[in-house]
Amino acid sequence: MAAERRNILMDETARKNYIQGVTLLKQEFLGPTTADLQLPGPPTPVSTYDLFVVWHHYAMETFTPPTQGDRNAAHRGPVFLPWHRFMLILLELQLQRVLNDADAGLPYWDWAADGEAAPADQPDSAVWNEDCMGGQGSPITTGPFAFDANDPASWRVRVAANVQGQLVQANRGLRRGFGQSVAGLPTQADVAAALDLDEYDRSPWSTQSQGFRNRVEGWRPLAGAPGLHNRVHVWVGGDMLPSSSPNDPVFYLNHCNEDRIWAAWQATFPGSPYLPDQSASAELRGHRIDDDMYSLLTSPVTPRQMLDPSDFYSYDDLQVS
Amino acid sequence: MKREELSAGATPDAIVERVTMGEVQLPGQDRGHGHGGGMESVREATYRGHHIVVRTTYRLEVDGMPVEGHMGVTNDGQVHYHAVPNLSFASAIDLMKQLIDIFPEDFGAGGHTHEHGQGS
Repeated sequence: MAAERRNILMDETARKNYIQGVTLLKQEFLGPTTADLQLPGPPTPVSTYDLFVVWHHYAMETFTPPTQGDRNAAHRGPVFLPWHRFMLILLELQLQRVLNDADAGLPYWDWAADGEAAPADQPDSAVWNEDCMGGQGSPITTGPFAFDANDPASWRVRVAANVQGQLVQANRGLRRGFGQSVAGLPTQADVAAALDLDEYDRSPWSTQSQGFRNRVEGWRPLAGAPGLHNRVHVWVGGDMLPSSSPNDPVFYLNHCNEDRIWAAWQATFPGSPYLPDQSASAELRGHRIDDDMYSLLTSPVTPRQMLDPSDFYSYDDLQVS
Repeated sequence: MKREELSAGATPDAIVERVTMGEVQLPGQDRGHGHGGGMESVREATYRGHHIVVRTTYRLEVDGMPVEGHMGVTNDGQVHYHAVPNLSFASAIDLMKQLIDIFPEDFGAGGHTHEHGQGS
């Protein structure tokens, strides 16, 4: 049976499972160290949760192709949506393992619903309550991921990108700062506008492309950028800003909602294919439908293999706007 | 894709083996495109059969400290910096201000008490 992914604000079991699951993965050390991952400093064990942080950072550091500095192995190009679907499925499998529940599904945060509130009221959403993700601060001081320097079991950022773009070891609490660089979250009208686009992606297959993928990623329209996905990262702020953004469990709630929007788009336009196909230029290697996607933790999969995730999960509701 | 196709390779043992046996090519953690000589952004376009190349070299500093992460400029002039992947900027100065806000421990306390100009 496949998991059902549910709204974190509507389903108490999904919320509690997610918090418990990521906490267990954060405390699970299977053996890899920072030395295995070429991080500077003395070798230090890396938790299962933190392996996903490293993976995301290295995918972002892998330019596709390496002769340019825009498109990378997980962002700023067509593979953005299938790569993150792959990442979320792998995390979900790990959550199911530590929770001993093969049907446990990642929850999503319907941020566009919160985006309908006045910007000044958005930090008061229930998603930031003590029994959900906790609030903001540097470090955050409320909720299940609050930092206590004297409690080794409290949520700690152990690997993080620095200003030079290097992934380095850290030992501090999680940071968030709501609405410091953008006034408000995306709205339901923003999501609806993305769902009006019937083409998945198009040349130049980058941040300048017209099409659904680039709209969901948040680079277009330029006047509204950062939009959708990018805007949520920027609005939450703090550790959601650098390439090590999976440090914040909110990362997965955000991407689960983007994946839901993609699922809704796929249901709306069943005849619109993933693009580019395999006949596209080798300059797009890593983004074509049958290319291997960058994987740190398992053998690679292709975008084509991620187009139908129904054997892994479904969503309780595809009404996204 | 079927669940069993992926789940067999996602067990703890399989993950540990893949990560610790060096099976994955990791991108280098060397910084920038210039390694002290600045970062070069290359923009290319084709117009009426002509191939256009615009090379721009940036040398970024804050309080004399070089900032050498990957930086680029898209063909529509937006400046982006890899360490802050969800943002682009109309101005490199705006980018640098944002970096100071996001990475406070990398810069320490500022010494200047008044703000200098704007622009890119």
